[in-house]
Amino acid sequence: MAVYRRGYQRYEGALTNHFGRMMVIPRYSWERILSQRFVTILLVVSLFWPVLCAGFVYLANHTELWQGLGGGLKRFLAINGRFFAVFMNVQSTFALIMAAVAGPGLIAPDLVNNALPLYFSRPMTRQDYILSRLIVLLGILSLVTIVPGMLLFGMQVGIAGFDWFIQNWYLGAAIFFGFLLYIGVVSLVALTSSAYVKWRVVAGALVLAFFFLLTGAAEMVNHVFRVDWASALNPAYALNTVWAGMLDIDIPDDKPGVMECATFLLAISGGLLAALARKLRPVEVVR
Amino acid sequence: MSSAVIEIDELRVRLGRREILQGISCRLGISGKGKAIGLLGPNGAGKSTLIQALLGFHKPSAGRARILGFDCHTQAREVKARIGYMPENDSFIGNLTAVAFLRLMGELSGLPKAAALEKAHEVLFHVGLGESRYRQIGTYSLGMKQMAKLAQAIVHGPELVILDEPTNGLDPAARQRMLQLIKEMKEQHGMSVLLCSHLLTDVEQVCDEVVILKDGVIVHQADLEAERKSNRRFVQLDVAGDDRNLAAALREIGAEGMSEAPGEWRIVLPADVEIGSLWRVAARERLQVRKLTHRRDTLEEIFLKAVGHIRRTPGDAPAEVPVHGRI
Repeated sequence: MAVYRRGYQRYEGALTNHFGRMMVIPRYSWERILSQRFVTILLVVSLFWPVLCAGFVYLANHTELWQGLGGGLKRFLAINGRFFAVFMNVQSTFALIMAAVAGPGLIAPDLVNNALPLYFSRPMTRQDYILSRLIVLLGILSLVTIVPGMLLFGMQVGIAGFDWFIQNWYLGAAIFFGFLLYIGVVSLVALTSSAYVKWRVVAGALVLAFFFLLTGAAEMVNHVFRVDWASALNPAYALNTVWAGMLDIDIPDDKPGVMECATFLLAISGGLLAALARKLRPVEVVR
Repeated sequence: MSSAVIEIDELRVRLGRREILQGISCRLGISGKGKAIGLLGPNGAGKSTLIQALLGFHKPSAGRARILGFDCHTQAREVKARIGYMPENDSFIGNLTAVAFLRLMGELSGLPKAAALEKAHEVLFHVGLGESRYRQIGTYSLGMKQMAKLAQAIVHGPELVILDEPTNGLDPAARQRMLQLIKEMKEQHGMSVLLCSHLLTDVEQVCDEVVILKDGVIVHQADLEAERKSNRRFVQLDVAGDDRNLAAALREIGAEGMSEAPGEWRIVLPADVEIGSLWRVAARERLQVRKLTHRRDTLEEIFLKAVGHIRRTPGDAPAEVPVHGRI
């Protein structure tokens, strides 16, 4: 019978589980974000570099193509931690731009339209809401970071063979967990910015500014007080240092090490999470 | 055995340094019976805080509240799976059509994708938004937004629907439509309804029970169904002249009267006493009738008495003093 003739009946069927309900927000958000033309263009552009790197991997594994071109080129074409560090640095820039584009539209509209009571009056907690918003960004940012990174690593394993994998498996783990850490930090910055600034353009600019301003502030502290430890307060430096540690690349002795940088990143993530949770309340309480 | 829909036991809610709910206790509704409960009170009485505490938005500082047998704070997920909530203020998700909005709300409540889409269409036709269901909610009029809010509260077929000022900003026709829908929800679909409103006529029209809050405590709880069955009529009579014997004269015809101010009487007429008999009593007592009006409804009388604007209802026992926070 047609819906308009049938009239309203209470739903009495089976309900979905908690995980299924939590994935509703990401599904709707992905659909909306991926329908934006700019996001599509950015996705395509962000794949140029992985394609170039794939060509590089192919060349590095086919020595017959560049025989007789010298030892310098051989060192240049080595697939090692430094190669993946360069790859990750470039892709992380695209991921940051993507977060600045996709992130601000995630929470601000819910706050402007007073939608939080609708979410929180359903079987969804504040933690579920934040987690589902993080999953949205994890999914989108993975497309430009983890997915091409792991494909590149898989390609290298496929061409170089199992022996190479046994010796370099930690590079795959470093790509996966390094990008995961990066996505976590960037997503928290984007969501917090979206929660506190309702204008999308300003919120997007704030995501980029967060990294530039802290970089500037860290350098300023280093110069004014003639110290080195303030580099750990630079999120870009901190992330690069943690990645370097994971990829087994040398870190300058006079700068903060992996542990200091990881501690700073954890602290800043905790701070952002607390700021986010503070803002996401179903009702405004005037004390 | 039938259990209460809402059970509140010494519930206290503190926001900052202020204690908004000061230890309230009550049992409201009967599970599965489709009753509507009216929540009344002057501004700042704690109505919204009570609703928010029931929804788990505020942690109780003491006591507890249970909905359908589940604790609102410790078993919030079970509670929220069984209720629908229509907030007082505009609450939407930006840039969505009504169908997409309702579908999203249905899925968040646990409906599978296909069922959520079907229910979204069904409920939009039910509330009268069928023809405009593909329009973005942001373009809706105030009345349509209220209907969309009601639709999202019932899309998943909850057992209890909490409505916070559902008729706010509605024109008379839309208001009647809204009240009719609320009546249908309880009578045809067996849903329990908690209706928070400052419009006494709305509550009178649809509710079976009423709770009146004042300054964070329950000052009155009444069974409106029983009140309606008693068929009492409330009359305001203003007279000039010596009215010292009027109370006794009214008792002779079976009515109860009380003087609130010199010459101003509030009278309760039983169903079998005609209004004309008041004229005859006034003539016999040589009183000049200045005004003779029906008071609007029984609930107004109950409300005014509960919030302290009138001392008591004629015919009631004079020694009725509510125990602090308890009925």
